[in-house]
Amino acid sequence: MSMLELRKISKVYGQGASEVQALHEIDLWVDPGSLVAVMGASGSGKSTLLTIAGSLEAPTSGEVVVGGALLSEMSRNDQARMRRRSIGYVFQDYNLLAGLTSVENVSLPLELDGVSAKKARAAGMAALDELGLADRASHYPDELSGGERQRVSIARAVVGDRQLLLADEPSGALDSTNGEAVMRMILGACKRGVAAVVVTHDAQLASWAERVVFLRDGRVVDQTMSPPSPESLLQPAPHS
Amino acid sequence: MSVRYALLALLSEGPKYGLQLRQEFEARTGEVWPLNVGQVYTTLQRLERDGLVESEDDAEEGPQKGFHLTPEGHAELTDWLRTPPDLSSPPRDELVIKVMVAVRMPGADVHEVIQVHRRYLIELMQQWTRLKEDEAEFDLGFALVVDAELFRLDALVRWLDAADGRIKRAASEPPRPESFPMPKLRRRIGARP
Amino acid sequence: MITKLDRPPAQALPADGGLPARRAVVRWAWRLFRREWRQQLLILALIALAVAATIIGSAVATNTPQPANFGFGTAQDLATFQGSSPSLASQIASLQQRFGRSEVIENQTFTIPGSINSYQLRAENPQGPFSQPMLSLVSGNFPTGPGQVAVTSGVASDFNLKIGDLWHQGGTVRRVVGIVENPQSLLDEFALVAPGQVKAPSQVSVLFDAPGVSPHSIGPGVLTPQSVAGNALNPETISIAGLVLGMLLIALVSIGGFTVLAQRRLRSLGMLEALGATDKNVGLVVRANGGVVGLVGAVVGAVVGLVVWLAYRPSLEQSAHHMIGMFALPWLVIVLAMVLAVVATYFAASRPARSIARIPIVAALSGRPAPPRQIHRSAIPGIVCFVVAFLLLGYAGAGSGARPRTPELALGIVALVPGVILLSPFCLSVMARLGQRAPIAIRLPLRDLARYRARSGSALAAISLGILIAVIISLVSAARYSNVLDYAGPNLASNQINLYTPNGPYGQENLGPTQSGPSSASQLIRMRKTADAIAASLGSHDVVELETTSASLNHNAPGRNWSGPIYVATPQLLRSFGIKASEVDPNADILTMRPGLSGTSEMQLTYDSGGGVSAGPGQGPGRGTSASCTAKNGCFPNPVIEEVGALPSGTSAPNTVITEHAVHALGLQATIAGWLIESPSPPTAAQITNARQTATTANLTIETKNSAPSSSQIIDWATVFGIGLALGILAMSVGLIRSETAGDLRILAATGASSRTRRTLTAVTAGALGLLGAVLGTVAGYIGVIGYIRSNAENGGIAALGAVPVGNLLLILVGMPLIAAAVGWLLAGRQPSAMTHQLLE
Repeated sequence: MSMLELRKISKVYGQGASEVQALHEIDLWVDPGSLVAVMGASGSGKSTLLTIAGSLEAPTSGEVVVGGALLSEMSRNDQARMRRRSIGYVFQDYNLLAGLTSVENVSLPLELDGVSAKKARAAGMAALDELGLADRASHYPDELSGGERQRVSIARAVVGDRQLLLADEPSGALDSTNGEAVMRMILGACKRGVAAVVVTHDAQLASWAERVVFLRDGRVVDQTMSPPSPESLLQPAPHS
Repeated sequence: MSVRYALLALLSEGPKYGLQLRQEFEARTGEVWPLNVGQVYTTLQRLERDGLVESEDDAEEGPQKGFHLTPEGHAELTDWLRTPPDLSSPPRDELVIKVMVAVRMPGADVHEVIQVHRRYLIELMQQWTRLKEDEAEFDLGFALVVDAELFRLDALVRWLDAADGRIKRAASEPPRPESFPMPKLRRRIGARP
Repeated sequence: MITKLDRPPAQALPADGGLPARRAVVRWAWRLFRREWRQQLLILALIALAVAATIIGSAVATNTPQPANFGFGTAQDLATFQGSSPSLASQIASLQQRFGRSEVIENQTFTIPGSINSYQLRAENPQGPFSQPMLSLVSGNFPTGPGQVAVTSGVASDFNLKIGDLWHQGGTVRRVVGIVENPQSLLDEFALVAPGQVKAPSQVSVLFDAPGVSPHSIGPGVLTPQSVAGNALNPETISIAGLVLGMLLIALVSIGGFTVLAQRRLRSLGMLEALGATDKNVGLVVRANGGVVGLVGAVVGAVVGLVVWLAYRPSLEQSAHHMIGMFALPWLVIVLAMVLAVVATYFAASRPARSIARIPIVAALSGRPAPPRQIHRSAIPGIVCFVVAFLLLGYAGAGSGARPRTPELALGIVALVPGVILLSPFCLSVMARLGQRAPIAIRLPLRDLARYRARSGSALAAISLGILIAVIISLVSAARYSNVLDYAGPNLASNQINLYTPNGPYGQENLGPTQSGPSSASQLIRMRKTADAIAASLGSHDVVELETTSASLNHNAPGRNWSGPIYVATPQLLRSFGIKASEVDPNADILTMRPGLSGTSEMQLTYDSGGGVSAGPGQGPGRGTSASCTAKNGCFPNPVIEEVGALPSGTSAPNTVITEHAVHALGLQATIAGWLIESPSPPTAAQITNARQTATTANLTIETKNSAPSSSQIIDWATVFGIGLALGILAMSVGLIRSETAGDLRILAATGASSRTRRTLTAVTAGALGLLGAVLGTVAGYIGVIGYIRSNAENGGIAALGAVPVGNLLLILVGMPLIAAAVGWLLAGRQPSAMTHQLLE
């Protein structure tokens, strides 16, 4: 069963003359453990796709199914609960809450879900530890470097049992080394069974995915085939 | 990179026998540098003639003959390291030509053409990236090569993205009279072998 | 799933995250407050100030009057008997039998030789069951045997006594063993002896508890603290009313502050929602912040208030003449103030909390505030409120002094408040429409004011309310003071002293009935000499004899009646006020300085015609018809009244006098009522005390300037209050409103606008808000006052509004907006640093 399923998703902004069709009958499946990249130029609707997949926005038509549950049939509060339990977000600009330490940021989704502060903190510490940030647990976001912040936000996105990771240009504001580290973490989460969608315009980032979906003017225009094994690259080619 | 500088580079690490040079040359270049191994000995003789390397006179010609770098050879190698490769004129790139042809060809969907190339490039990049996944078996030289390849492909993808956008904008603007200011450029594209 | 979490099944957790979620959210709000409290300093300071002022004000107001249990101790009932009553013992015995536990206090009054003051010899048990709050030991011991006495420090100094001295008093020798005081009244001078030691008590008090028994049913002379006090308008009520109004204004001002703060945190709040917080949780962050601000402000204010109170308490004890417990505070008011502070800020934060929770998550995440909503455009709800207020106040105004319609009055005034609040957004959009053709530097701020009505509307409402209060006070006091019949104002100028004989208007009240009656010629001569002596002691030779007759004025129509004395316009009196006899109309019956009195119709002069109705000074004979006003019943219709501006204006001064012409025509007898002394400079307190003592010896009473304010003083205070409040609110709101559009300002600067443009923007914002607030507040004030006065015959109806405080209104309507604009212009010069700082966030 797919972790995330988008069926004929359309999104229209505005009305009348200022109407903009951001998405046009998008179909997309993401299986557990797989990393899918969505590529497209700015304005192609790729961020909208992500916010709709994550219940932050409702589609104009079409259906979103997360973990087998239809989002359109949920109340706002149930959607919020779905976000707390199943969906993790990573944004380009980290969006850590100032005023909360790293570990508090990470354990916040659990606390919002009603887990006691102590248990949530333990889980948050464990998540930070996995990403090598245990010594940064009691730092505030403004005391962390950009790469560390993004790692904390990834820890926050995967803490608990969350099965769907949605990332919008997760390394957009980072240098290539930190960007690569971020992608490795997302890939690591996928190896544990998390389904991930990364939205980006960066080909190097997208090439980490096992499937790349191309978006153009709100439509899926293409996607990569299952690539041949990398060994084919290592055959010496007659070329100067 | 030519065989000449590859051999100079190998010798800069210390004196080596002819066979050793040949084996190391193969080991280091086989994977990523497509160079002709057969040229190793002739190139060594030419280097010796030019005074860039010296052989041990007492030894015979053949695999057991030892070579080392002369100061002139060292200077030549250092010079070469700092000489920028010729990037001033654009290479004759098939991709560019194909897209330009598609633009002018009636009935061709340029965007579709671009997308086909883009997908191909991304698939290539996916394969290169797969090599990086397992960092443990990754040596530095190899990593540098993989990165270089990824950035090269990335640059092409970006060019495709930019071309895509430019063509899209041009289509929505009224067509301008035939006055492409690029005859020089066209000539230079064909100029390099 | 980095970690496997030992978490209860989904059904066990509440859908909204329950308590842990709320706790996490509130904790975050608290952290944010700790990080950013400086940005909320203004609101914090306002609340702290309001709470501190309430504590100090209410503590002083409740502690300054004598305690409610003055004279009662801890008892609920007090019976007082004459010491000479033959049945005293049996009456006390029956009380004791009926109510059980009781305490008897015996007093014998002695005069202090060579002084008009007296002290009491008091027999009271220091361990009595009820009287302990009325007795405390300053030093030494309480008297225990017949030979011992304890005195107050006043008595000790009068008789030059100290502990250990022997004191010959009333034929008995006692040893002074202690210094005592009555904590409930430091002016209570007495000598304390052991119970039973007062031989001939002049007054006996019995303290007892008779719960549930009406004091009247027990007997005459029985009182309870409730029957003594019993005033609904006590200081606590007034404090609470002021507090509620103040908190309302603070809440209105802080709405803007909390909105800006919430906008600034928009992205974080969006992230919180993306993490799975419910709308309620998100709103709670903003509300909790409001509550925290209120709580911190309340606690800081309470601490400051208590510290100031403790520092001020000793001097208050001195001026209030009784001991005040360290924590004798109106705790109810204090607790209420703190609770109200939290409630006000919580609700002020509720509005932005609601609107923030409504913003789509995606818009919040990208930091795009929702476009300002087009709300409350209609003027109708506000106008309806005004109409309701107008009608209610009209109904209240139709009530009379005997049948006051207080609830309607209060409701009518309260109805004006929502009217102002509802009309504020409408006024802003009207203003923006008016400014559409103005240059950009004016058009832009006006449009911003209208666009961001959530903020500017509440600020405008707060300004308008401040002005509304000032205008109502000004108009009502102008109307009241302009009443020529029931004349209000200060009684005398500060350099004037009135001395009254027992015949004077106040003389008979002060002295016992046995001493009333006409004074003999010799007595008058002695009084006259005393008056001269007092004048001399004040450095004055200007002693005007005040003569009175039985004549008084009567207004034979509905409304207020005449009040005030009418003295005879003797040549000496006229001369002393610089009025020449030639300037006075020979046919005038009455001369007055009260403006408008000569134009008042239906006036009558009533007098004692010998056998008929007696009309004492100041008491009208009741309202008959003008047909019955004949010389036969001592009435003279339509006297000729001439206005003479040189007469003094004090209510106790000869502001209205009857001419000798009228005195002769009506055959009136003039008697000397007293003397008016005008000293070159206002007498000091010591001179007044001295004069009072001198006057008492000659049976004269003395009147000096009281503290009643004049009309112009009240109006000026109200104007200053209103303008100060409005400017304060402007100072707080304009920064907030302009910070909203800081982005615009940056773009303007980038497109080449000078600092002059920036100044103009701020100045126009402040000036426009000030002007709108002044107009709205004044209009609302006039609506309220016209509504009330129109139907209020007692105050002379709508005509009473003829006295418009033009200068003060101009100050409010023109001066205040100009000051606001000027200050805005000046302060806008150094705004950018704060602005860029905020943008960097």
